[in-house]
Amino acid sequence: MAQRWQPDFEQLVEEHQSMVFSLAWRMTGDRGLAEEVAQDVFLELDRHMERIESPEHALNWLRRVAMSRSADALRRRRVRGVDLWVEIEDKHGAPVEERQSPLETRLEQLLSTLPEAQRAALVLRYQEDMTPEEIAAAVETPVATVKSNLHRGLKLLRAKATTHLKEYIRGL
Amino acid sequence: MDFEWTGQPERISGSEEDREFEQELKQAMERRPAPPSLKRRIMQKRSARRTERHHTTMIWWQRLAASLLVGAVVAGGFGWRQIEERRKGEEAKQQVITALRITNQVLNNMNRKLTEHDRGEK
Repeated sequence: MAQRWQPDFEQLVEEHQSMVFSLAWRMTGDRGLAEEVAQDVFLELDRHMERIESPEHALNWLRRVAMSRSADALRRRRVRGVDLWVEIEDKHGAPVEERQSPLETRLEQLLSTLPEAQRAALVLRYQEDMTPEEIAAAVETPVATVKSNLHRGLKLLRAKATTHLKEYIRGL
Repeated sequence: MDFEWTGQPERISGSEEDREFEQELKQAMERRPAPPSLKRRIMQKRSARRTERHHTTMIWWQRLAASLLVGAVVAGGFGWRQIEERRKGEEAKQQVITALRITNQVLNNMNRKLTEHDRGEK
């Protein structure tokens, strides 16, 4: 009989904190809020440790809960009437990393202006390299909807990028 | 510009420009490093939560133990009272029996004396 996998909470945090934090940041557009979401996600993981069966299960669980908690945080913000995107990077933003080109930074900012469902699909697709089926499972949405969100989101982002970043696109 | 889903690793295809855009998007969307203090804060909160949970559990056990103790004292008191009442009842019954026995003896004595008195008169 195969031995049951014993998850190590600290190791899981070490391994996945960057993934959870990045998902939360890209979904909420707020670094401070993303840190809170990431903390909540890992504390919830701590409560569910007994049910985690494998490293893959842990990864998928964290992705799903990070997306769900980020959506909740956005909804709470909206209820409180805070205009998130006005605050992006201004208050909570870390200094732009050297590895990021201005185009990449601008692309991230444009991404944050997309509708939530499209943004979620694109973040999971391009940050996590997930298939539409995996995304559908993570956000609990039909695959066809995910494909549609990916298609529309990419189209919209591309249109925005073309308008805002013509000089960079031409330069590539 | 129209993207088409192919189901392959480079799943969204289109013109060369589209693919370049996708590539740029992938680079822009690399995972960001988490703040250095994030893990420490998570571990601290986890520890605090566990301590709090332990404390709460302890409080519940203490409450349960106190409730059991109070219950035992009340039940004991009730039981003791019943035994005491039964004992007092038994004692009263014995006293009544003793009183009746004394009365009976006194009546017997009087009866005997009256009988002797009647005989003497005859």
